[in-house]
Amino acid sequence: MTASHLRQLASVVGLLVLWQLLVQTGKLSELFLPAPLSVLASMWEMTRSGQLPWAVLVSLNRVLQGFVYGAAAGIVLGLLAGAVGWIEDVLDPWVAAVYPIPKSALFPLFLLWFGLGDASKIATIAIGVLFLVLVNTITGVRSISPVLLKAARDLGATRIQIFTKVILPGALPNIFTGLRLGAGMALILVFITEIEATKAGLGFLLWEAFQLLDTRKVFAGVVTFGLLGVATTWLLQWLERVGCPWLQRSN
Amino acid sequence: MLLALRDVGKTWLIKRTGERVVALQSISLDVQAGEFLIFLGPSGCGKSTLLQIIAGLEAPSSGEIRFPQARGHAKLTSMVFQDYALFPWRTVLGNVVFGPEVRHVARAEREVAARRLIELVNLTGAEHRYPHELSGGMRQRVALARALANDPQILLFDEPLAALDAQTRRVLQDELLRIWRETGKTFVYVTHSLQEAVLLGSRIVLMTASPGRIKRIVDVPLARPRHVTGRQEAAILDQLDGLLGDEVTQAMAL
Repeated sequence: MTASHLRQLASVVGLLVLWQLLVQTGKLSELFLPAPLSVLASMWEMTRSGQLPWAVLVSLNRVLQGFVYGAAAGIVLGLLAGAVGWIEDVLDPWVAAVYPIPKSALFPLFLLWFGLGDASKIATIAIGVLFLVLVNTITGVRSISPVLLKAARDLGATRIQIFTKVILPGALPNIFTGLRLGAGMALILVFITEIEATKAGLGFLLWEAFQLLDTRKVFAGVVTFGLLGVATTWLLQWLERVGCPWLQRSN
Repeated sequence: MLLALRDVGKTWLIKRTGERVVALQSISLDVQAGEFLIFLGPSGCGKSTLLQIIAGLEAPSSGEIRFPQARGHAKLTSMVFQDYALFPWRTVLGNVVFGPEVRHVARAEREVAARRLIELVNLTGAEHRYPHELSGGMRQRVALARALANDPQILLFDEPLAALDAQTRRVLQDELLRIWRETGKTFVYVTHSLQEAVLLGSRIVLMTASPGRIKRIVDVPLARPRHVTGRQEAAILDQLDGLLGDEVTQAMAL
């Protein structure tokens, strides 16, 4: 462990201990900042009762479906737009128009169209993921050096082979960037869509606890969201290592 | 005769200004089987464009290109690019098998052939490295092996050593000559370096600057290995230098 690691560890442990002491000595109110240990105890309680795992499962199901639909559509459209001129022309104005809209603002519309169930939430998440993946995929295709396309053509590749063997792998690093950004967006959107019009999910749990002023539970929800964020980041980093082995540093 | 160029010309249209630029004009030339042909000329003389036209990557604006010995759809030429143009997501082996792979050669067969070529270019042991893990000289060896993998009749080189340091260039020039001898292929090689032309070529096609035309074809009947300091080499260098000097002055005046 290096000195840098030690300082980082000391920073985290020190702040948590200070926080715990401030609450125990009555300097901080449990209503605003519950002590770390009581948050932990609350999480344990909610895990044992099954409340927290169930909420995570419900939310993860929405996140995963929205992410997969959105990412798949974003990758396919992005590759096509990047490789075929007229498809780009058809898509471009829509991307320009919809990309800047906060996707949470579309949720009321989706509620209207798809009802109160999971579909409206999944659609909101999918749209949020789609645009991030789409824009990054297009960037990835454009970043491919034209001389690589020439080389592939010179070596006898057909148009389809150029698409699958040059454009797709060439855009892959940027696609992964889009997926990482999309995963973050999916977690934001699942929370927002679970505040209203639902009776299940991590966002619902957190928001309901807030309305009951159960701050320990709110913290438990926040920490769980944080853990989900870390887990998805790790998962995507691992996927990227497997999918893009050439991006490893040579040492 | 392997390749016949008849009155080949290329005109670019500059869209912004609507201007027409004549890059190549009435290029007529026969390329003989097994020769090491050099296109030598100042920057902007269209020699790279000519190579792309021979490769079929660009269409000529006028004239025609014929491969009198062509049988069916066999791939006749393969290009080695100046900046290597290796696929960064493929290993050395993956790059070398690319051509046979897209032409649906069976996996086992193409890998055996690729390993032989990797040995030919002295890269055995580096099969599973990625291009960014190789030096510039090694990358150009991979590019050469990849071009050979399609078993073309003619290898086209677009200033392949221009980006390398002098030492590495020297080594690779010898390697190129060795591979040219061992494979018996026809090499068509573009360069702006006089020394390189005299060291490598069996025939040097001197190009004029804008529009690119053939100014002179110089035979280099000297034995190899050659040395730029040799008496006969120096004589040819002098001759080329005089001819090329006029062209550079003209190109700069434009």
